[in-house]
Amino acid sequence: MISIRNLTFYYSGGDKPSLRDINLEIEDGEFVLLTGPSGGGKSSLCRCLNGLIPHFYGGKITGKVEVNGLDVTKHSTRELATMVGMVFQDPENQLVAMDVDSELAFGLENLAFAKEVIARRIEEALDTVGIVNLRHRATSELSGGEKQRVAIASVLALYPDILVLDEPTSELDPKGAEDVLNVVERLNDELGITVILVEHRLDRVVAHSDRVIVLENGMIIADGGPRSILSDGRVSQSGVGIPPIIKLAQAVKSRGMSLRVKRSNLIDDTPLTVKEGRIALAKTLRHSKPCASRHSELFSPVIASETKQSHLKPLIEVKNLWHGYPDGFVAVKGINLKVCPGEFVAIMGRNASGKTTLVKHFNGLLKPTKGDVILDDINTKEATVAELSRKVGYVFQNPNDHLFCDTVEEELTFTLNNLEVKGGEAKPLINQTLERFDLMQYRYQYPRFLSGGEKQRVALASILVAQPQVIILDEPTRGMEYRLKAELMRFLDQYRIDGRAVILVTQDVEMVAEFSDRVVLLSEGKIVVDGPKREVLSRALLFSPQINRLAQALKSYGVPDNILTADEMIEALA
Amino acid sequence: MVSYKYSDKGTVIHRLNPWCKLAWIAAVFVLALLFDSPVYLLLLSLSTLPVILAAKIWKEWLSVMRFAFFLCLLIIVINALVSNQGSHVLYQFPVAIPIVGAPRITLEGILWGIGNSLRLLAIISAFTVLMFAIHPDDLMLAMVKAKLPYKSVMVTSLSTKFVPALIDDAQCIADAKKSRGLELDRGGRIQRVKSYASIAIPLLSNSLDRAVQVAEAMEARAFGSGEKRTFYKELKLGKVDITILSFVFPSIAFGVFLRCLGQGGYQYYPVVEAVSLTASEWAMLFVLLLLVNAMPILALLKRKVSLD
Repeated sequence: MISIRNLTFYYSGGDKPSLRDINLEIEDGEFVLLTGPSGGGKSSLCRCLNGLIPHFYGGKITGKVEVNGLDVTKHSTRELATMVGMVFQDPENQLVAMDVDSELAFGLENLAFAKEVIARRIEEALDTVGIVNLRHRATSELSGGEKQRVAIASVLALYPDILVLDEPTSELDPKGAEDVLNVVERLNDELGITVILVEHRLDRVVAHSDRVIVLENGMIIADGGPRSILSDGRVSQSGVGIPPIIKLAQAVKSRGMSLRVKRSNLIDDTPLTVKEGRIALAKTLRHSKPCASRHSELFSPVIASETKQSHLKPLIEVKNLWHGYPDGFVAVKGINLKVCPGEFVAIMGRNASGKTTLVKHFNGLLKPTKGDVILDDINTKEATVAELSRKVGYVFQNPNDHLFCDTVEEELTFTLNNLEVKGGEAKPLINQTLERFDLMQYRYQYPRFLSGGEKQRVALASILVAQPQVIILDEPTRGMEYRLKAELMRFLDQYRIDGRAVILVTQDVEMVAEFSDRVVLLSEGKIVVDGPKREVLSRALLFSPQINRLAQALKSYGVPDNILTADEMIEALA
Repeated sequence: MVSYKYSDKGTVIHRLNPWCKLAWIAAVFVLALLFDSPVYLLLLSLSTLPVILAAKIWKEWLSVMRFAFFLCLLIIVINALVSNQGSHVLYQFPVAIPIVGAPRITLEGILWGIGNSLRLLAIISAFTVLMFAIHPDDLMLAMVKAKLPYKSVMVTSLSTKFVPALIDDAQCIADAKKSRGLELDRGGRIQRVKSYASIAIPLLSNSLDRAVQVAEAMEARAFGSGEKRTFYKELKLGKVDITILSFVFPSIAFGVFLRCLGQGGYQYYPVVEAVSLTASEWAMLFVLLLLVNAMPILALLKRKVSLD
C-alpha cells in the first residue's frame, strides 16, 4: 500500500517544484495508469516510491511518502527494492549483466541471498514473465521488447508487491509493446501485484486499468476511474491523448444520440475497447435510420489530392534498390519507389523490415549496393551527404543527437554555414524559422536544457532552416505525448504544400491515419503494399487504426468500412 | 565484420576455469619478457596458436593481429631510424634530420626491431584470449576473488559493456551532423577540430545521461550501500583445472630457471650474434613450451574423456 501526503519536491538547483502538494493513496492490487504532459512530474513521482528521490537525486522534499508503512526518506532504496520494483523507459540502459540469468541474479546478489534461493527465484521469475527460452541468451542480442521483459523479470525476482513502470513501451515497436503490456496485465491479474504504469498511449492499456491519474505541472489534476477521467474535458485539454474510441463516443453523445455500453451494472457509458464501442454503436445505429450511402463517395479510396501527383516529376526515384550490410545482412531487396512533390508518405513496417535502411539512401547516408536512387536528377552515388543535404533534410529520432551548440540560434547558423549560406542571406532565414517554430523566446538559450518537445522543435528547425525539398523523419513521434505529436504532424502537413515532400518512418498507425496520405508498407526488405492510406490501413490486421476496426464491424449499418479516424466516423454518422 | 565482443563459442577453452586462462596468459607474458632470443620468442608466439584455434577465435585474433603487425612495422622502422648502434651499416642517410641527426640504418637495428616485435606479438596474441575467450562475468568474479573491490570491478566491466552502445551513438550523431551539411574532412585544422567537436559534445552528454540512467537502474535493484554481497555463479576449480594450473605455474618457474642457466639470452648490439642452440637447450625449450601449452592439451583431453 502506498500513501502520499502533502508531497512537494524540488530537484536540487530547481526553482520550480517538480511535484507539488501531492496527496495519494494506492491500495494493494490496483492497476494505476499515470499520465499527463511530459515534464508534468510522472517520473519524479515514480522515483519517490522507491526512494530514488531523495536518496539518489537529492533535492528538497517535504511531506510524507509511505510504502507498506515505511517512510521512504528514512529507508534506503536498497531496503525498498524488495517492495517496489522499478522498470525504466530505455531498455538499453537498465540491463547490466552479460546474460539473462546473471541479469536476474543481480538484484538478489546485491541483497546477499544464498545461491540456492537465487537459483529458485530466477526460475520463478523466468516462468512468470514467460521468457524461459531467453535464459542463456546474451542481453545485448535481445530485441527491445525482450529486454524490457528481462528487466521486469529481474525486478520480479526480488518479490516486490508494487511494480512501477516508467514508460516501459515508448522505445518499443508495437509488437514489443504488446508483449510487455501483456506481461504487466497478467502480473496484476494473477499475482495481484500493484501496478503503476506511466504511459502516453492510452488506447491499449486504459481498458485494463482501475484508475487513471493525470499529472500536470507537478500536480494531480484528475484521479479516478478511466471512464470518467477520460471523458472529462479538462483532461483532454491538458494534452492527454484521448483514445479515438472515447473521442468518438463523446461526439456521438454531444449530438444527442444515446450510447449504451452493455454493462448493466455500470452507469458510466464510455466505451473503452473496440468491442464495447462496437456493441454500443450497433445498438445506437439499430434504433436510428441507416447511414446513407452518400458517404461512400466521400471515403472512396482515391481522393483528388492523391491522384494529381502522378503527373508531376518525382523528387525521389528509387530504382531496383538493394542494400547489404558488411555483416551479410541484406536489409533492402529490390525496391522501386517514386516520391512526388506534395506527397506525405508514411513508411511503415515491423522492426528490421528495412525502413531506416531505405530512407538513409535518400540523402546518401547509405549508398546502394545495387540499383540507383535519383534525387532531382542527381544520382546519390555521385554526391556527398553534405551536397544532398541542401535538398533533403533528415531528422533523427533523438533530438539529442542533433544538438550541440551553445544557443538555439547557433544550431541554425551551423547548418547554414555548412551549406555556405552566409550573413545577409542567413539572417532572414533564421528569423523566419525561429518564428515559425515558436522558438524566438529561446533564441539565446542552451538547447539541451530545453524540454523534450522544445528540443524536438529546435532539431527540426535546424534542418528546415535550409529549406530542403524533401524532409525525412525517422520515428519522430516515438514516446511523444499526443499534443506535441499532433502539432508536429500538422506542421509537416503544411510543409509539403509548396511542392515539397514529407517522408515519415513510423509505427504509429493512429498518426498516419490522421495525417499522411500515402502508406508504403515494408516487410523483410520488400514493399508489400504501396498506396493511399485509406486502402492500406483499412482491412489491415496489425496496421489498422482503432476506429477502422470499429467501422468494419458496423458495415452492415451502412458505415463505410474505410473510415480511419474519429472525425471521419462522426461525419459518417451525422 | 568482426565484433570486438565476447561471445560464447562453447569450446573447451571457453569452458575452462578463468584462472587457468589467466595463468596461461601470465605465463606467456612473463616468458615473453624473460627471454631475448628471437628463436624462443618466435616459438613462444607460435605456441599461442593452438589455444586460439581450440577457442575458435581466429577471426577476432586475425583482426587484432592485423593491427599488431602494423604496430610492429612501426617499431621496426622507428628503431632502425633512431638506433645508430650496430656495426653492419646498410644505409647511411646523407642529410641530417633535426634532433635525430643523420640516421644510419644498421642490420642490428632492424633485427632488434624484429626480435622485439616477436615479443609483442606473443603478448598480444595471448591477450586476445583474455578478450574473446573469458566470459566477462567470470573475469569479474575472478577479480573479486582476487580481493579487488567489487565496485571497481563492476564499473570496469560495465564500461566495457557499453562500448558498443557508445560506437552506435557516435555513428548516429555523425550521421545527424552529415545530414546537416557538415563535411568532416573539409577545411583547415581549426575547422576540423570544430567539426569533430560537433560530434564529441553530444556524444559526451549522451554518455553522461546514460551513466545516470544506468546508475539509477542499479540503485533500484539494491546495488551499492550494502556491505555483503553474494555471487550466483561460482568458479569451480575442477580436477582438470587444477592439473592445468599445476603445469602452467611451474612453467614460469622453469623459464626463470632456464634464464638463470643463461639460456635464451641474446645480444643484438654491437654485432648481431649467431643463433645457435645446443641439443639440451632445444630439449629444455621444448619442455618449457609443452608446460605452457598444457592448457589446450589437457582441455582437449578432458573433452575426450567426458565424451566417452
